[in-house]
Amino acid sequence: MEINRVNTRIIPFRFEYHSPSSLGEALTILSRYGSEARILAGGTDLLVDMKQRLVEPRHLVDIKRIPELRLLREDVGGFIIGSAVKLRELERSEAIKGRLPLLHEAVSSMGSVQVRNMATLGGNLCRASPSADAAVALLALEAEVLIAGPTGAKRVPLEGFFLGPRATLLRPDEILTGVYVPYPPEGAGSAFIKLGRTSLDLAIVNIAAALKLRGGIVEHCRIAMGAVAPKPLRLRNIESLLSGRELTPEALEEALGMVEASIKPITDIRATAEYRREVSKVLLRDALKTATERCGGRRS
Amino acid sequence: MSMSGKSFRVLGERTARKDGLARVRGLERYASDYYLRNMLHARVLKSPYPHARVRSIDVSEAEGLGATVITFRDIPRVRFCPRLVSTPEATYKDWLVLTDRPLYVGEPIAAVAAESEEEAQRALESIRVEYEVLEPILDPLDSMRPGGPQLHETILLGDEEVRVEGNLACRLEVAEGDVEKGFGEADVVLEREYRTSRRYHSQLEVKSALVNPEPDGGVSIWCTTQTIHNTRLLIHEIFGIPTSRIRVYRLPLGGSFGSSIHTNLVVPIAVALALKAGRPVKLAYTREEDMHDHSSYQMIFRLKLGAKRDGRLTAGELDMVMDIGAHQVQAYPLLGCVVGWWVSLYKLPSKRYRGRAIYTNKVPSCAMRGYGNPQTTWMVESMVDELAEAVGMDPLEFRLKNYVGKGDIFWGQGPTVKSVIESCGVEEILRRGAELIGWDKRPKPGEQRGRYRRGIGLGRGFHTSSAGAAVPGTVVDYSGAILKVNEDGTIDYITAMVDQGGGSLEAHAKIIAEELGVPLEVVNIVAADTQTTLYDVCTHASRGVYAGGGAALRAAREVKGKLLELAARVLDAYPHALEIRPDEELGQGIIYARGVEGKEITIGDLTTMARHKNWGTIASAVSFRPGSCPPHFTAFFAEVEVDTSTGRVRPVRVVAGADIGTVINPDLAEGQIHGGFAMGWGLAVLEDTPYDPETGDLLCRGYITDYKVPTAADMPDVEDFKVFFVETHEPTGPFGAKGLGEAAKNPAAAAVANAISNALGVRFYELPITPDRILKALREKG
Repeated sequence: MEINRVNTRIIPFRFEYHSPSSLGEALTILSRYGSEARILAGGTDLLVDMKQRLVEPRHLVDIKRIPELRLLREDVGGFIIGSAVKLRELERSEAIKGRLPLLHEAVSSMGSVQVRNMATLGGNLCRASPSADAAVALLALEAEVLIAGPTGAKRVPLEGFFLGPRATLLRPDEILTGVYVPYPPEGAGSAFIKLGRTSLDLAIVNIAAALKLRGGIVEHCRIAMGAVAPKPLRLRNIESLLSGRELTPEALEEALGMVEASIKPITDIRATAEYRREVSKVLLRDALKTATERCGGRRS
Repeated sequence: MSMSGKSFRVLGERTARKDGLARVRGLERYASDYYLRNMLHARVLKSPYPHARVRSIDVSEAEGLGATVITFRDIPRVRFCPRLVSTPEATYKDWLVLTDRPLYVGEPIAAVAAESEEEAQRALESIRVEYEVLEPILDPLDSMRPGGPQLHETILLGDEEVRVEGNLACRLEVAEGDVEKGFGEADVVLEREYRTSRRYHSQLEVKSALVNPEPDGGVSIWCTTQTIHNTRLLIHEIFGIPTSRIRVYRLPLGGSFGSSIHTNLVVPIAVALALKAGRPVKLAYTREEDMHDHSSYQMIFRLKLGAKRDGRLTAGELDMVMDIGAHQVQAYPLLGCVVGWWVSLYKLPSKRYRGRAIYTNKVPSCAMRGYGNPQTTWMVESMVDELAEAVGMDPLEFRLKNYVGKGDIFWGQGPTVKSVIESCGVEEILRRGAELIGWDKRPKPGEQRGRYRRGIGLGRGFHTSSAGAAVPGTVVDYSGAILKVNEDGTIDYITAMVDQGGGSLEAHAKIIAEELGVPLEVVNIVAADTQTTLYDVCTHASRGVYAGGGAALRAAREVKGKLLELAARVLDAYPHALEIRPDEELGQGIIYARGVEGKEITIGDLTTMARHKNWGTIASAVSFRPGSCPPHFTAFFAEVEVDTSTGRVRPVRVVAGADIGTVINPDLAEGQIHGGFAMGWGLAVLEDTPYDPETGDLLCRGYITDYKVPTAADMPDVEDFKVFFVETHEPTGPFGAKGLGEAAKNPAAAAVANAISNALGVRFYELPITPDRILKALREKG
């Protein structure tokens, strides 16, 4: 029975640990072991799952020694963040703070310092938690994920990456190598808001919004929410409603009126579905307000 | 300085605690840090069902793997109560170490010990158990209804077998005065139902035991406990090992908050395994196992209070049902304490009380910092606010008019522990606190309209310092202290009292240094165990400083008398004319005749001379029973901000006042109040352990990911948290000191709840006041 199989002091089953130093080596190991292998990065999700016996991989492939996955670099029109880059590195990066404040805000809200010192950006995405803070921010930033596999590399929009809780596009023989995050348009403002039970919690609901106004008209609008559906959600219908319009109280009310139909929250130990529906609207209003205030490069 | 005009040398000074560096640097060794050569690692097989009968259990595979395995058949079938603080006639026994009739998810069925944690885990998973699954009952009110599942057929009261009817574990009724007449005289009568939650202690140290079987048939034990002597007595009671051969070591504790007043099941399980294996065995719970081991008491109150238009209370009636989970730890004494907490807040000329403790198929409840007082105080302080409003009086003035204070009879730990209050700073706490928070500028309830609404709430309360009394009663309460003077002038202090982490032993050292006139540095708190100490009942009931310090002070007085006696011989002076002063340069005390030059000797030289002259060791051993349990008083004024869109509550400012008699360690005392507020905050707005009706298990399954406690970031900034101590002197306490640990928390939740009500104009009768509940209440209010 479950209660007797859990022993969080140890990992209560045997597995083999691999520590490749190149991407090629890692891909070879994954091809060999297929679904018996799991990729280990920060381990802040995977090791917990293993201790709770939710997964029992026979092989762990630690990707932290692969140099290119640890890189954080500027690319054409944006950043490429290696999948094994620690959340704490992003939090401490002046470049990220300056150029991608939305991602910075989301990452800084995650876990504790100790967790952020271990957890990686790639891990947060591959876990495909409906409430993943970084995922919500990256959706609003229209990020793309970089995937390497036996047949080569590909680049796909993040939005299509998530299939459901704990499920992604990634095949057992593939590795998420990084994320390409384009800069938001010049002068855009953004906001990430998260509601938890305490300041150290997973999100009950989270939201990321990026907005650009020109002459009071919404020129660019990206909104994503977490913990309100089986996967982090981009609210395209609301984005298109607001685009090209002035952010009048009427437009805002119309947008808020669309929230309930756009989400499918559940009741769990963290909150009821009813509560999530209610505060989703509040968060959207707050996020749009803050993002608007931050337009034009102002950011408190 | 104290009110009595006495000035102290060490007491009240900001000093570094002796174990401070070790604790913050991670060098302190707690129970789970102990290892022995040749030690086996143990794991416990826990019931996956909330209510079941074990039909069969097959351990052959586990034994085949080389593990030592025990089931209920390997342990004497002695029904016991794990808490030995009460006398036998007040002690209900319904526990077995391992059971074949599990009554909650997590109840131990069997245990294994193997060469490594991994091997023990594999052995555990190989045990095959066939269960007959029985219908569980999770709600205490359902549990009381006839015809449902029965958890216990019979239990023991002392040694007498009693039948259990309707899952009623025990009951208590108390009445005084003419209640009907009292309500008849009232101009306003309010009656309300209040519900609290079941919380987990979230103590840093999870429960652990290491047991070494000794060649003489005895055992040595290093374990998580608030009482080494009661642990020894219980192991004797269960296994029949001679008490003198059970050696329990006093260890530093990483917090407990009442979760180790009773002897933890890990101890007898590890003893049984060690005896069977003939090798040392260590059993340390994981956090998840710990959360399946204990919780607080959930209470459902029906309270009725009457008051005259002038604000004077006339009568009170309280009916309390508490969910105690599957076993009794201290339900019966708690029934008495709840009425004590209730009637000792405000004067009730007549009162009637009925308390009932109900079994459910849930994790057993035990004391949690305040022992029912935080719940009771929240209930009373909520209704007192409503009553004040109903008679049109300032809630603060209403409290001042009715509070139980100096000269009043105090029910202390219940109707059997009565005494007269001799020191009380309630009025000063309330007046000063009101001024500091700006009480007269607080908003009128319900007048605010914006999204963010602020409110100020007051909660006041108290707790007993120890469970002492003028007469024996049904609670054991005494402490012991041994002091001996070393040849270098240092003093060894030997006590069985466990320091929960709050610094009780540090306070004792200061009391000893103060009395002896020696530098604090020369007082050694030495390692100790049951064989080398006098009996101490337990570190609970906020008795560490008051009762333990009382013993230490009396031992110091004896040693001082002996020092002066011997010094008088050496100095050719009269003992009563000698004094002791600390010499920081020499690092020890000097005994001298005042005003006479040259007539002095260091304690070290005197002790050395006593050795050469064969005068013997300068030492004392004192066993001390406090003759009362004086209340220490606190009040919290909390300002909160409610986001009416999300239902989130944020603490803005806190003012806390306390009357703890003489303040011994100002920083530690202030820290107690910060921590107490955080726990009260958790009780008020955050914490509960709901159960999954499908599985009968905790909904969070023991994972702290989903049992949230407030963090430092959820508390007000330190600058916005003002703590003050009023100057009082408790004549029965060591140098005028009283306790603090529990009153530091008791009224905090009440203050927060009252602040929320002040902000919103809505009252909440169920804890915790979650964002969800706030939004619902606001919707209903419209």
